[in-house]
Amino acid sequence: MPAQPPPPEPPFLRALPSAQPSDTELIAGSTADPELFAGLFDRHAVAVHRYLGRRVGDLADDLLSETFLIAFRRRSTYRPEHLEVRPWLMGIATNVVHGHKRSEQRRYRALARASAEPPRTGSATDESHDRVVAEAMRAPLAAALAGLKDRDRDVLLLFAWEQLSYEEIAAALDVPVGTVRSRLNRARRQTRAALGTTSPFEETR
Amino acid sequence: MNDITLLREAGPAAPVLQPAVRVAARVALLDEIERSKTVPGRVRARLPRPRTAIRIGAGVTVAAVAWTAAVVIAAPDELGPPPGSVTLVAFEPPVFPLALDPMPAGLGVSYSADPGGVLHAGYSGVGDDHIYLTVQPDEPEQYDVDDIEDVTVDGRHAELVTGANTTCTGPGPECIDIEVPYVHLVWERRDGQWVQLSGGGRYEDANHLLALAADLVDRPQAVPLQVHLAPAGWSVHAYKEDRILTLVNDSYEQQEVNVHLPEEPFPADELLGELMGPVGPVIEATVNGRPAQLVQVQGGPRDPGWYLQAQFPDGRTFAVQAPSAFTRDEVIAFAQQVTYTP
Repeated sequence: MPAQPPPPEPPFLRALPSAQPSDTELIAGSTADPELFAGLFDRHAVAVHRYLGRRVGDLADDLLSETFLIAFRRRSTYRPEHLEVRPWLMGIATNVVHGHKRSEQRRYRALARASAEPPRTGSATDESHDRVVAEAMRAPLAAALAGLKDRDRDVLLLFAWEQLSYEEIAAALDVPVGTVRSRLNRARRQTRAALGTTSPFEETR
Repeated sequence: MNDITLLREAGPAAPVLQPAVRVAARVALLDEIERSKTVPGRVRARLPRPRTAIRIGAGVTVAAVAWTAAVVIAAPDELGPPPGSVTLVAFEPPVFPLALDPMPAGLGVSYSADPGGVLHAGYSGVGDDHIYLTVQPDEPEQYDVDDIEDVTVDGRHAELVTGANTTCTGPGPECIDIEVPYVHLVWERRDGQWVQLSGGGRYEDANHLLALAADLVDRPQAVPLQVHLAPAGWSVHAYKEDRILTLVNDSYEQQEVNVHLPEEPFPADELLGELMGPVGPVIEATVNGRPAQLVQVQGGPRDPGWYLQAQFPDGRTFAVQAPSAFTRDEVIAFAQQVTYTP
């Protein structure tokens, strides 16, 4: 009698009964069991704080709480078929920043006034060269961000920092995808123009 | 390195999320969660729901406004009964701020306005040629965009946005989706004044739109349908193609007064039969020296009101729908100050 073949390996990525609920499951379940929503805070607080912090600095400490309070109150309006939870939270955080435009502007201007560190030399690698260039560009880049219109800056930063797609940004900000494209196009063009001769790159799309 | 990479590498850095901050934010969230469980059905303080309107006036003083003036008002959480009275004040009618000079040959113009200070001028004639000019405080949203070309209008950056809108044509549910290509010329003419130009017929292409943009001048245009008296604290809510004007109570937005030019006026003796709901009787009145008919109508469970059919001095018919906060005399006084100058 031939030997029986070994049983197949269980699917490596199969969800197990003990697997953590998804973001969507947490937010759906929080309607009946609100405490589940705290799980979303545990997963996304660092990312939301980082996004807020890049825009408004230390004020992010306060806006982090505000963002999640608003998200909790609006959880019944969340539609998983349109948007994942992280972009949804970033959209709420973006709207929270709008209430503190002056703080954001002040921050960019302060960063723009700060002297850029002189480029360090001594390394020939492309990676270190990029780092040196980036250091030199901090001040002019902050000035460029200060010069953008709020809505254009929203789209640019969600695209660049949070790496959201056009569709995700559109859903997060509740605007058409075409508007996202238009705002991003304008924001990138104005940023490049503001950097002018200091720009370290060729125009890219 | 491109601009996006540069933003990631050299953009402002974020402060570190300190454990104490994280704990405090989590505690605040848990506190909110707990309150939501322990106070079932409570009315939570709602975040302000902004509503943009064009304020007519406050108090009893004369008020003057423009379409683009705007106030933001938080909606009340719970509606109480509507205000039971109004105070009519003088009102300077709004204007459309721009004009095409020269006026395109063979075209006439009509105006519209939407809530939020979005103003439209539609130029059309007997043929296919037409132009749409929109002026608004915020950047117009674009749908189904295929391409965006950077251009210049009067020294300012502008965008030629091309795309195709999907429209369902045909009768009823059997309609067929067709794609209608469009070209929009969009620019911020000055701070807070966004302009969008589009057109059809010979104005459909980008070059014609750019030529039209060069003809745009600051020249306030009086709209044909005007009211010169309005309740204090009310706003222009909408204006449609020179035929409908709606004012709304800023502090109770369900309360409106509406002036319109009916396509087919009701014969006076058929008026009661044409109005919906419990109505009547017809109160004979005089407006502009001509016979008018005033009817008390059931406007809704909260707010019954008035329907007035009257005529301008030239015999053209107009109608006023007003809430019961207006007295009979106030409806008549309001109607006396409605004008139409096509």
